[in-house]
Amino acid sequence: MPCIIALIIFSIIGIFSVSHRALAKEAFNCVFKRITFRPCNTGFKEKIKGKLLSKIINRSTFLARLVNKHYEFLSWILFILMVGSTIWVCRGVYNFYVYGSCNGLNQSGFCAFDPSGENNKITNLSDNNTCGITEKSEANLTLENVDLSFFPKKNTESKDDIVFIGCYACDYSRKIYPDIVKLAEKKNINFTFAHYPAKGDTTLLSKVGYCVYKNYPDKYWDFNKYLFTADKDYILNKENMDEIIKKFNFDQSVINSCAFSNETEELIKNSVDELNKTYIYGTPTIFINEKAFVGPKPLRVYKSAINKFIFF
Amino acid sequence: MLDVHKIRKDFDILNNQNNPIIYFDNACMSLKPKQVISAVSDYYVNYPACAGRSSHELGDKVTSKIKEVRDLVAKFINAKKSEEIIFTRNTTESINLIVNSFKFKKGDIILISDKEHNSNLIPWLCLRDRIGVIIKILKSNKDGTFDIDNFKKEIIGARFVSLVHTSNLDGVTIPAKEIIEIAHRHNSLVFLDCAQSIPHKKIDVSELDVDFIAFSGHKMYGPTGTGVLYGKSKLIEDLDSFIVGGETVSNSTYDSYEFLPAPEKFEAGLQDYAGIIGLGEAIHYLNSLNYKDIEDYEYELNYYITSELEKIQQIKIIGPSDAKYRSGIVNFYIENMNMQQMAVMLNDMSHIAVRAGRHCVHAWFNDKNIMNSIRLSFSFYNTKEEAEIFIKSLNKIMKII
Repeated sequence: MPCIIALIIFSIIGIFSVSHRALAKEAFNCVFKRITFRPCNTGFKEKIKGKLLSKIINRSTFLARLVNKHYEFLSWILFILMVGSTIWVCRGVYNFYVYGSCNGLNQSGFCAFDPSGENNKITNLSDNNTCGITEKSEANLTLENVDLSFFPKKNTESKDDIVFIGCYACDYSRKIYPDIVKLAEKKNINFTFAHYPAKGDTTLLSKVGYCVYKNYPDKYWDFNKYLFTADKDYILNKENMDEIIKKFNFDQSVINSCAFSNETEELIKNSVDELNKTYIYGTPTIFINEKAFVGPKPLRVYKSAINKFIFF
Repeated sequence: MLDVHKIRKDFDILNNQNNPIIYFDNACMSLKPKQVISAVSDYYVNYPACAGRSSHELGDKVTSKIKEVRDLVAKFINAKKSEEIIFTRNTTESINLIVNSFKFKKGDIILISDKEHNSNLIPWLCLRDRIGVIIKILKSNKDGTFDIDNFKKEIIGARFVSLVHTSNLDGVTIPAKEIIEIAHRHNSLVFLDCAQSIPHKKIDVSELDVDFIAFSGHKMYGPTGTGVLYGKSKLIEDLDSFIVGGETVSNSTYDSYEFLPAPEKFEAGLQDYAGIIGLGEAIHYLNSLNYKDIEDYEYELNYYITSELEKIQQIKIIGPSDAKYRSGIVNFYIENMNMQQMAVMLNDMSHIAVRAGRHCVHAWFNDKNIMNSIRLSFSFYNTKEEAEIFIKSLNKIMKII
C-alpha cells in the first residue's frame, strides 16, 4: 500500500523534481511487482519507511514507535484519505469547469481556481448599494409561476431558453450581458431580458426600455445592448435620456409619453413583483432552461449548460 | 601505533564539516586518500598518453609508470616476477579470467566455500553448465570458521580450490597456508580471493605458495576499475587467452595472430592507466602504515561495537562471536526484520554509511533463510567516537522496534 501512495505522490512531485522522478520509478517497480503477484523486494518500502521514521524519531520516540508498529494501517488510512481528496479535487475541477466555482453551482466558498470569487460576485438585492460576494441558497430560484410575457423576448422557436435578469447599473450584469446575448444569437436560442432595478435609480431606464420595445421592437435589442455597454454614469443621468433617444432616432414624444404614463408605471411595478416570484437574491441571475446561474460566470459555463455538458 | 588523526587529514571527505559522514562501508569501497587522487589527476593533467606503444616522451613516461606499478604490486605481495601480475578491472574480472582461461575439462572437481561472493560462485556455476565441471561446496563450521577437517575429506580428487581469503560476509579469514599445503599435497591448485583481506592483512604469495590470487584497487584505497590477478608464472603461461585484441599480440595477418607473453596477453585494449597509477599510490600509502597496527586498531573498534551489540537481545551477529576472528567486519541482523530500513535510518539520523542487504552472498542468506543484514566494515580512519555515535543511534532505533 505505501508503494501505491508513493507512486502517486512522487509521480506528481516528479513532474517538477528530477530526484523525485527516480523515487517514482522505484515506486512503480514496486507496484508493478505487486500487481504481477511477485513480492516487492526492491527495498523501496523500507527506504521510505526509514526516511520517515528518522525524521520522526528525532522529535518523538513514542510517535516513531507508533508509526513503525502501525505503518501498514496508517498507510491504508492515508490511502483512503488520498483517494477521497482526489475525488474531491476532481469534483472541484469539474464544478469549476461547468459552474465556474469549485464548490458547485452558485456556491461562493473558496475556490483555488477563482480565489477572488469573481465568478460568483453579484449585486445583492438585500442591500441595494453593495456589490460583492454573497453566498445564499439557490434552491428557491425558479421560473415556475412567473409570467415572463411582461419582458422583451427574442423568440427563435428553439427548444432552449435563456432568461437574463439583470440591472443596467450593476457591474456584474453589465460584464456578462454582451456575452450572453452573443451566445444566444450564435446558438439561435430564445432569449428573454428582464430588468431588475437592483442598484441605483434605474426606474427611468426600465420604463424607456419597455417603451422602446413596445414601439420599436426591431431596434430594442440594439438599444438594450447600448444601455449595458455605454458609460454607466452617462446612462444613469436622466438629463441624458433625451439625447440617447435622439441617437436612436426614436420619436421623443412617443417614448416620453409612454415612459411617463401610469400604465407603464404600473407595468414596471408589476414586472418587478413578477421577478420577485423567482426568489432571485442578486443580479445577474441567468436561467438557462430553467437552471439558474447567479453571478457572472465564465462563458464556458453557459455554453456547457446549453450543450448539456452538465452531468450532476 | 596508528596516528588516526593524522591519517584522517589525508581523506578530504572525512574533514567536510558541512556534511560530516561516518563511513562504515569499507568492505564495499574504501575512501581515497588525497595522494591517490593527486596521482590520478597528475596522469590526466601531465602525461595522458598510451603505454607500451607510443614512442614519444609522454608515452614513455606512462610505460615506465605502469612498469613501476607492476613491479610495486609484485613486491607488495612478494611475487617472484613482475610478469606474474596481470592488471584487470577488478577481482570479478580476475576470477572470470581464471575460470575461462584455465584448461578445465568435464568432470574436474572445483571446491568453493559456502560463503563465496557471487563473483566466486557464478563464474564457476556457469562453467559447470558450459563444460560439466563439478562444483563442491565446502560447508563452514557453525560459527562461520573454516572446517579444515571437512576440507581434508573433500580435497581428494579435486583439481582446483577457489576460496575467499577473508569473507566479506563475516570477516572470517581462512587458514590459507594450511589449506594450500593440503591442496598441493593432493595436486590441487588454489586460488584465493583477497579482495577483502589485502587492505587489512599482509599477503605474501611466496610464503603462502598460493597459485593464484586476485584483489581490487577500490577496496584498498585505490581507484575504481582497477584489479590484479596474480598467478605463478608457469601457470599463467599455460592459461588460454580471455579477452583479446589490441596489445595482446605481437603480430597478426588476416588469418593468423601471435600472442605476446603474459601479462600483455591478458591485458587487451587500452588499460586504465590513471587507475593503475592511482593503485600504485594506494600501495605506497598502505606501505607507509604498519599492517599489524591496522589489524590491532580495527580489532579494537570491532571489539567495542561487538560488545555493545551483544547487549541488545534481538541482534544476532553473523560469524564468530569473538571479534578477533572477524577482521574489520561486524555483520548483524534481527530475525524477521528487513534491515534496509535500519540502514536508511542510520544514514538519515547520523550520516552513518553502512551496507544493508545480502552483500552479494545471496546463496548463504537463502540457505540460512535470513532476509538480510547490516554490515559495518572498518578501516584505519574510523574512530572510537564514530563507533560510539553508531551505538547511540542504534540504541535509539531499537527503542522503536
